[in-house]
Amino acid sequence: MKAFLLDDIDQLRDHLASQRSLFTPQYTEGSTELNWLPLTSKTKSVTTERPLLPTYPAKQFFFPDREILFQFDGSDFKETLPEPEPQILFGVRSCDLCAIAYQDRFFRQDPYYQARRRATLLVGIDCNMPCEGGFCPTVDAGPFVRDGLADLVCHQQQDASWLLMVHTPAGEALIQGLELKAAESHHITRRNKQEQQVAARFPSATHIETGIQRINQAQVPAETWQAMGLQCLTCSGCTNLCPTCSCFTSYDRPVADGFERERCWDSCLYDAFQREASGHNPSATAGQRVERFWFHKFSNEYTKTFDRYGCTGCGRCEKTCPGVIGVHSVMKRISATL
Amino acid sequence: MDTASHNISKITSSICPYCGVGCGIGLRVEQGRITGVEPLANHPVSQGKLCTKGWSTAFAVDPIDRITTPLIKENDTFRPASWDEAYQVITEAFSTAIAEKGADALGIIACARATNEDCYAAQKFARAALGTNNVDHCARICHSPSVAGLRQTLGSGAMTNSIDDIEKADLIVIFGCDPTENHSILGGRIIRAKLAGTKLLVVDPRLTRLARMADLHLQLQLGTNIALINGLLQIIFANGWEATEFLSNRCENEEALRAKVAKYPPERVAAITGVPEEKLIAAARMYTEAECALLTYGMGITQYTTGTNNVISISNLALVAGQIGREGTGINPLRGQNNVQGACDMGALPNVFPGYQEVAAPASREKFAASWQQKLPECKGLTSLGMTKGALSGDVRCMLIMGEDPVVTDPDQHHVQQALAALDLLVVVELVMTETAAMADVILPAAAFSEKAGTFTNCERRVQLIQPAIPAPGEAKPDWQILGGLASRLGYNGMNWESAEAIFNEIAALSPLYQGMSYPKLAANYGLQWPCNEAAPNGTPLLHSKQFSRGKGRLIPVSHADPAEMPDEEYPLFFTTTRLHFHYGCGSMTRKSPLLERETPSGVLFINPADAQALAIRPQTRVRISSRRGEVETRTVITDEVPPGTVAMPYHFKEAPSNRLTNNAQDPVTKMPELKACAVRVTNLEDGTK
Amino acid sequence: MKTLMTPQLIRITEIYDDGEASSHFTFEPVNGINHSARPGQFFTLTLPGHCEAAFTYLSLPDAEGRFKALIRRAGTLTSALFNCNAGDLIGFRGPFGNSWPLDQLLGKRILIIAGGIGLPPLAAIADHLINSNNTQVALIYGSRSPADQVLKYERSAWHMYMPILETFDHPSSQEQLAGTPLDHLQEMTVKLGGHPEAILTCGPEVMMNAVGHHFVQNGLPPENIWLALERRMHCGVGECGHCYLGSSYVCTDGPIYSWQQLTRLQLQTTA
Repeated sequence: MKAFLLDDIDQLRDHLASQRSLFTPQYTEGSTELNWLPLTSKTKSVTTERPLLPTYPAKQFFFPDREILFQFDGSDFKETLPEPEPQILFGVRSCDLCAIAYQDRFFRQDPYYQARRRATLLVGIDCNMPCEGGFCPTVDAGPFVRDGLADLVCHQQQDASWLLMVHTPAGEALIQGLELKAAESHHITRRNKQEQQVAARFPSATHIETGIQRINQAQVPAETWQAMGLQCLTCSGCTNLCPTCSCFTSYDRPVADGFERERCWDSCLYDAFQREASGHNPSATAGQRVERFWFHKFSNEYTKTFDRYGCTGCGRCEKTCPGVIGVHSVMKRISATL
Repeated sequence: MDTASHNISKITSSICPYCGVGCGIGLRVEQGRITGVEPLANHPVSQGKLCTKGWSTAFAVDPIDRITTPLIKENDTFRPASWDEAYQVITEAFSTAIAEKGADALGIIACARATNEDCYAAQKFARAALGTNNVDHCARICHSPSVAGLRQTLGSGAMTNSIDDIEKADLIVIFGCDPTENHSILGGRIIRAKLAGTKLLVVDPRLTRLARMADLHLQLQLGTNIALINGLLQIIFANGWEATEFLSNRCENEEALRAKVAKYPPERVAAITGVPEEKLIAAARMYTEAECALLTYGMGITQYTTGTNNVISISNLALVAGQIGREGTGINPLRGQNNVQGACDMGALPNVFPGYQEVAAPASREKFAASWQQKLPECKGLTSLGMTKGALSGDVRCMLIMGEDPVVTDPDQHHVQQALAALDLLVVVELVMTETAAMADVILPAAAFSEKAGTFTNCERRVQLIQPAIPAPGEAKPDWQILGGLASRLGYNGMNWESAEAIFNEIAALSPLYQGMSYPKLAANYGLQWPCNEAAPNGTPLLHSKQFSRGKGRLIPVSHADPAEMPDEEYPLFFTTTRLHFHYGCGSMTRKSPLLERETPSGVLFINPADAQALAIRPQTRVRISSRRGEVETRTVITDEVPPGTVAMPYHFKEAPSNRLTNNAQDPVTKMPELKACAVRVTNLEDGTK
Repeated sequence: MKTLMTPQLIRITEIYDDGEASSHFTFEPVNGINHSARPGQFFTLTLPGHCEAAFTYLSLPDAEGRFKALIRRAGTLTSALFNCNAGDLIGFRGPFGNSWPLDQLLGKRILIIAGGIGLPPLAAIADHLINSNNTQVALIYGSRSPADQVLKYERSAWHMYMPILETFDHPSSQEQLAGTPLDHLQEMTVKLGGHPEAILTCGPEVMMNAVGHHFVQNGLPPENIWLALERRMHCGVGECGHCYLGSSYVCTDGPIYSWQQLTRLQLQTTA
């Protein structure tokens, strides 16, 4: 891995933006909401202050909320693959990068996802402090970016200067033309040490660890799931914001001279998600559906395929759940029962 | 505007277009189209959360099937027309009606979904451009009794406290409402409070989600609210649990109330309501013993022939217990539409100008006449149901309906259809072809909330700014521009505003409640709660803290009365209407989402297992529901959510319109129809076939 | 398969009624695009404007690519399909899913137990097994009533090659067998010439569960009991998530599971 020293991260960002269109988390105009938006002349300098995570993870860049799959012109079906322009996502955090790697595997044969993904280069940033509600160290998803999950990784050192790590040839090509001083091995060593220090600053997550055990031993009583099911208002917020959630439904929309099939994000918390035309529903109760959601995030069954849990510790579900059954609430409840 | 040629180009902060909670929602724009929403993490009400309807907003505003040009009906089909031509047709019909029968032959239905600016324009159009007070909107069929009842007892019809107070209460009383389904984000905050130790008391004929979580659930019979509250008051007075000091310092007419409720001893009340005596006593004790008890209520109070009296008795209860005027207490009606509070504030009502200034008061009339430079009509106008009645009798000749769908949502569908068909001219201002729009002579294409600037006022009186995310499709325009253009054609030039902000400034100048507000101030504060003026420059989260708007809180004795129609041999079941979490109003927005449409496709009847067994009904059985007014066919869901003897139906589905069944018997004060109770017969259509 | 999500055109060549609210459809490829499939697999049909739904092969594609399906009218898509006529073009994607474990079945004594509309998913494998050497096959077909039976022509053909018992919850005459398939195992064991060595079953979940429990309790190894499961299958390629069963997706890991696999998946969660 090549590594360089960088004084001004904004200079890097501008250099990248001159080559491809660049998206980065920034405050929506006139608000304090951190969202993924295109870089413009109004975009502020890169900061490492809280909030670290934008409202959404980066998944909608590859698996958008709604996407047309094909068109029917009255006589035949025409596949409509996206033809995205080359782009860069700048400032992706470690948890969200782990989720992209997870979805890369999940959607490995999906041509729509892969077309968008292939057009995208990723620039990660190490988190130098815990974010609100985050627990990435517990699920091996941060706080620093894992090797190979981004094309370039930026790390702010203690003197506020930056260490730039190059993980892919595409990343190396991106920084050509920038005059950078090569980093030395002690810079890398110091970064590794610092990750341990940052990880140690996260609040205790024993409820997550215990909860994972209980889920994998199927030890949580059905009544506990049912009680939490009563709190599920079926809003779909958790599945919308979860960086690894990937369920979708498809439907036909009439257009001039035919129709098009679109897919949109779906949620396994909906009563009708599994309901069959006969009315029979294999997951008929809210408690079953809540259990299934967390099983999908924390079961060892999936680690064979994905080399990690479906949860990357971002904590977005806790913030967006109106029924107080986000990850911390659920894991506290199930680790308290036995 | 910064745009990228592809992918996300911008996010526009806005307010959710559904219920009255007023959640913060970011509209994500890609390639000129709204493709998704982002919850606003720092919004004071929603705090980064949305309900399923809010999350599906991108579907609701999908340009598919939008009306994009004015349409004129010819030979029963619509043809596109120019704005000039459409205005011409309307101007001619309106002028003829005025010439022949006077301005009161015209009626305007404003919209609780439109912005304050649009509603203000609608009432100004009626009063100044046409010369009639015939202006109303659908608050008539949700919270007109709240406005009428609470104005008598407190002097103000709005939520007395703020949504934040939910987490400051020791006890939350949920009276005739289902917040987790219909006001989910507020309902979620009740769940959060409950988990943190707040007690819950639910009063509802249905076993709602919150009733399942409650510390105490009073499952009363439909239409027995007053008997129940009088019973609680009798217990409170009999045990000396009333707030003595509060009553003597801040209330009046206590003796009359004591005398009335003395006639409601627990055994009588238990017999009327079906709630056991010990539960009544426990509830009375809980409510009076709580340090801070916040009461919230909904359509289960208002949609009765006794709606206004129901609201008054809620007020009696809160006043006697002294559970009002402090943080974490109060009387908090939950509003159904994103801007029903604002539409009322704007005076889109037949009896008041903006800011609840009485039409009947000469001083207010003079004030508005001077500002609007027009002589204004003196007599109170017709309500929405009065207008449909007038249409049938020939007194009302033309109507303009802004974005409402009374054919699906108002009681007695046949009556509404006949009335609209009898008009000389029906103008509908709409986004899509609703059942009502299909009956119009002229349809004018309106801009959606995502395509215009303006303000919405949520149920806690928070006035919040919205801004356009994308341009309106085709020739669609904001309602205020449409009405302004029409006013000019009719010879009134006082509505040619340059922007929504100019209208808001006019509102602030004329309405003391909004006096201290401006767009920049709203933008800087995630909205402000009225009253906002010199005395309260940052708005007012809590009403009535020192004194009530009317001075002393007035206790008004009221009596129990049965619903206008009770079950009998011919129609043996009680029928009530409900709303589902997944749908909204007539479904014209929510049913565009494939997810919401899949969840409950086309109407259901909820029936208790005991009643289902008696009729040999299984899940998904096809049934006919008949009342004295009509019949509907749909499929059943068997659930203990409804008590034995009562069936319930959501009103969102045109395939199974519950308003063919409901009673249009009305509250004498507000003309609120009795949508919550009537008598029906259920027939199993599959009986014997399988 | 042309693409992952985009259908290809096929033509409906024949439609006839078969049982209550059910019809027998024959399809043939358009533009010479042929495919092969294995018994137990499924495919999806797209009705323009009504999205798509999954169906099982009643007969596998022949040399000309013709195949059949028995389709019951249940929702809006099937209603639209029932309004189609022979000659109409619709959309097809497939084949999807795994298949009955042929290599583990040949040479065994096999009992097929079908309930109601669960018979069609067993038809292609039944056809295959009755034509295989050294393999004994028998069928018990349970229905609610005679009117609920499907595949009349197929059953009358099978009668020549394997023993068949037909049972009814509500028989309409005294000659008809009353009860469920499990009530008549004894008779079938005699006809089959011994206890079955493998079970193939498809039908209501209650029936399949009863079948599984019965044979496991009677000593049949759970890996020799095979079930065809139904779930709400959409994408067919393990992406959309609707057909989950524990950690598996029925559209790719199924729809055929052994009783052993199924019980393991069911133990993963408590509900």
